[in-house]
Amino acid sequence: MNRTALIVGLLISLPLLVFLGLGFRSDPHTIESPLVGRPAPGFELLDLTGRTVSLAALRGKPVVLNFWATWCQPCIAEHPVLIRAAERWAGRAHFLGVIYHDEESAIERFLERRGAWGPTLVDPDSRVAIRYGVYGAPETFIIDVEGIVREKVAGAMSPSQLERLLSDASRGAAS
Amino acid sequence: MPRAGRARAARRRAAAAALLALLAALGATAARGQAGGLDEDERRELGPAQGAPVSGALLDARAYEIGSLLRCPVCQGLSVADSPVDAAVSMQAKIRRLVAAGYSEEQILAYFEGSYGEFIRLSPKPEGFNLVVWILPVVAVLVGLGIVARRVRAVARPAAAGEDLEAYRRKVREAVEE
Repeated sequence: MNRTALIVGLLISLPLLVFLGLGFRSDPHTIESPLVGRPAPGFELLDLTGRTVSLAALRGKPVVLNFWATWCQPCIAEHPVLIRAAERWAGRAHFLGVIYHDEESAIERFLERRGAWGPTLVDPDSRVAIRYGVYGAPETFIIDVEGIVREKVAGAMSPSQLERLLSDASRGAAS
Repeated sequence: MPRAGRARAARRRAAAAALLALLAALGATAARGQAGGLDEDERRELGPAQGAPVSGALLDARAYEIGSLLRCPVCQGLSVADSPVDAAVSMQAKIRRLVAAGYSEEQILAYFEGSYGEFIRLSPKPEGFNLVVWILPVVAVLVGLGIVARRVRAVARPAAAGEDLEAYRRKVREAVEE
């Protein structure tokens, strides 16, 4: 009986220990995006000035697509990082902000005070946010020169992280 | 043609024109409904709707049913259908549009999974590695029943031991009689 209990106990506990061990290998806060490695879903949205921005028209340069809001503290912390990156990559990359569940007036007031790093797009009914599977703000999708989603970053990015992601994306699929 | 005849013919032409206009408007509405407010990219991803357009109470019920199978992306353990937050409300509105356009439950779940990953499903699909989640509880119950059955048999053994006791008594009686 003791031997049987030992075998049954091992049969139950060993798989559980293996699952636990596998769990330690990944960050529980990270949810992999199924879009990474696939063509970025296309969209046409109006920016705050009423100009139409089409993702397809931006092909040929990497795109930083950032979903953000003024109620989100990490977005506010990330704002200067994006401003500096947009200055450094001017003419070599596109920076697009998409309003994520926020008032246009609040966004406009924020941008007046802190400056803009690219067109800020209005996303009616969160169509684009849903299409990109956005779980929260900020979330950034790095799209390479061939229009493929190379990376999804949840949370605020560091300057070095954004620099590395843009360098990789500017090289396309060969990188 | 007499004046009354001309008037009747004009009324018939007007009625026919009104009917044509009504049919054209209905056709345009149906086309919009079929598209489900989707762009080209989304239509390619979803493919043609597998069912017929739905409306009224049935639309409400089906949209709620499908929304309750999806995880609210910004809540803890709430479904899209039950969450009041903006992100879930937008998703529920999208589900409603897709159901109205005739998309099936599996098409809609697959569409959201294509954007958010499998985590967006509140219950994992019973296939591949996920089968462990479905099979393990059944295996655990069977193993538990097996253990209980063994214990019950062990407890029932004293009844058999009663026969041994009778043999012992017989031996004692024989020893006393001697």
